Amino acid sequence: MRMSLEIAKKMLLAGREEAQSLGILCSITIVDENGWLVALHRMDGAPIPTVDIARDKAWTAAAFKLPSSDVSRFGTPEMSGLGLNAQNWNDRLTTIPGGLPVEDGDEVIAGVGVCGGTPQQDVAVCQAAIAAIHS
Amino acid sequence: MKELTLEMAIKALEAAERWARDVAGIPCSTAIVDKAGAVIAVHRMDGAAMATTDIAIEKAWSAVAFKIPTLMMSRWLDPRNVGELLGDHALGMVGRGKGRLCFIPGGIPITDDDGEVIGGIGNSGIPSGVGDISDTSVSQAGISALYDA
Repeated sequence: MRMSLEIAKKMLLAGREEAQSLGILCSITIVDENGWLVALHRMDGAPIPTVDIARDKAWTAAAFKLPSSDVSRFGTPEMSGLGLNAQNWNDRLTTIPGGLPVEDGDEVIAGVGVCGGTPQQDVAVCQAAIAAIHS
Repeated sequence: MKELTLEMAIKALEAAERWARDVAGIPCSTAIVDKAGAVIAVHRMDGAAMATTDIAIEKAWSAVAFKIPTLMMSRWLDPRNVGELLGDHALGMVGRGKGRLCFIPGGIPITDDDGEVIGGIGNSGIPSGVGDISDTSVSQAGISALYDA
């Protein structure tokens, strides 16, 4: 399966409904498997910077094929790729929770990023968006 | 119409997408920003080049920043207009606005009933800025949808 605008819209709608039920105002971003923006929505009243932070989380998740919070693992010397978590080599890299890779089988087809709530709420919105792919 | 909402933004993006697909037949990206120039929503159609999302955002931002369509701004830089319009003076604006200022046609400000700018729309991906099939006409299709009864 490849990410398409149609799937992205479905994910954004499901994510927005989850955010509404959680009572948060957030931005949700969908990027393709290479981290390029496919679609993003900022809910009415969500702060302006949430757009870019959500996009950064989605990029990080797609580029590393990992949840954005897991990228901090590259800070341990025992791991290969020590220093990949350093935020000064790339404008988009972030280790803030709230970005998840979207998987189809064992293949990463997209990334989703959410910003606006607590880390747990952001992740919950991401998961709701991902669950909508197969509905 | 006093303020742009996400719902209205999506309506405009859907209309722009329909026009781009059914009339122009070219995939492209469209962005909606609010009166502060902050992004409300962006859609990239399947097959549109990756860079088009950011250019669409820049066009929408520029249209709000100057309160005129970027088509008019592009005329400032047209060599045929040197000595007229803003002429050489406009060259100094290239690359300003933290790199967000964009002089490519395709961005249009959205105004309320009193003529106040309440947001902007930008489109990128159509290989022409002016004419019947252009970034500007896709943006206009998006704006027109906002005024549907």
